[in-house]
Amino acid sequence: MKDWADADTVNMGDFRVVAGTGRLAVRGLGSCVAVVLYDPTTSVGGIAHVMLPSHTLARGQAKPAKFADTAIPLLLSEVMRLETRRENVTARLVGGARMFETVVLAGALHMGERNVVACRTAIRETGLVIAGEDVGGHRGRSLLFDVRDGTIAVRMLGEVERYV
Amino acid sequence: MEDVRDLKALQLDALCEVANIGAGHAATALSQLTKRKIMISVPRITVTPIEEVPELMGDADAPVAAVLMHMLGDLTGRTLLMFPEPDAKLLCDLLNKREIGTTTHFAELERSSVKEAANILGGAYLNALADFMGMMLMPSVPSLVIDLAGAVLTTAYLNFGHDRDFVLCVQTDFEFQDVRQTLTGQFLLLPDLASLKAIFDAIRVD
Repeated sequence: MKDWADADTVNMGDFRVVAGTGRLAVRGLGSCVAVVLYDPTTSVGGIAHVMLPSHTLARGQAKPAKFADTAIPLLLSEVMRLETRRENVTARLVGGARMFETVVLAGALHMGERNVVACRTAIRETGLVIAGEDVGGHRGRSLLFDVRDGTIAVRMLGEVERYV
Repeated sequence: MEDVRDLKALQLDALCEVANIGAGHAATALSQLTKRKIMISVPRITVTPIEEVPELMGDADAPVAAVLMHMLGDLTGRTLLMFPEPDAKLLCDLLNKREIGTTTHFAELERSSVKEAANILGGAYLNALADFMGMMLMPSVPSLVIDLAGAVLTTAYLNFGHDRDFVLCVQTDFEFQDVRQTLTGQFLLLPDLASLKAIFDAIRVD
């Protein structure tokens, strides 16, 4: 079990980058997706807490970290500012659950799935590799990212912690 | 009206009144169902960026039992009944006439009890609204999840709502007074933006 208490929380639509030491947490991910970028050679990493697949869904001015298509280029450029080499950076995705299944029209693509698909597309466009995923399903997740060794612990209600 | 931030004080008061009537009827139904005295709060109306929705409930990481129902008919939107997980277990004890503290997990019977309670509450709430406003309102079948509060709340908005910037929430707390432990829950009314206009038209508020 990792210690979750003193980690900095990355709120919805926000992003954080850390170097060397530090822990970041994302709490209560439903259909949102946490995108984690990490360079193991320099121990630099960051998380974007993506809420929606595309910035075209916003009505007015909104935070770029809220949308998959704008969050991932932003997070990558912020990670690159901290002396990382692009070829060492890998991406991992956590979240994108399909909650409340029974009250959704059949055949409709869920926001969680749309977020996951949009994140994968945006990551592919930046040329990064997806090193791991813990996505989909019907249940919410919380995650703890430790930048020292790059581990991501994922918690689901009533289940043992697992690592991505 | 383009945005929930454009709502005027009078309109918010009117929504509060509408919610109060609904919550009053729902509390009466729950009180009869459990044969307990129930207190309800004055409804709180929150207009907030969607990013701050998890904070409405306090701890985004806390487990809750939540029942989502769609509103269908003359208004569209959703209702969400939320109990902290321990309180939902207490509710199962009350509904199934068990010794307090007996329910340890949510099996079929417990899930069904919570859904049924939500159905009755949601039905009473919507009926009161429908009567008051002269509208036809129907709840969809209830869907229960037992999960993290943040995940539940954000998904209730993002998956179904059309407003992804600022959102409106009408929240009523209720509390059972005479059990050994206090049982608290919340009833959230999440009307779609287009439905707000229908509400104001019905109660003649500009």
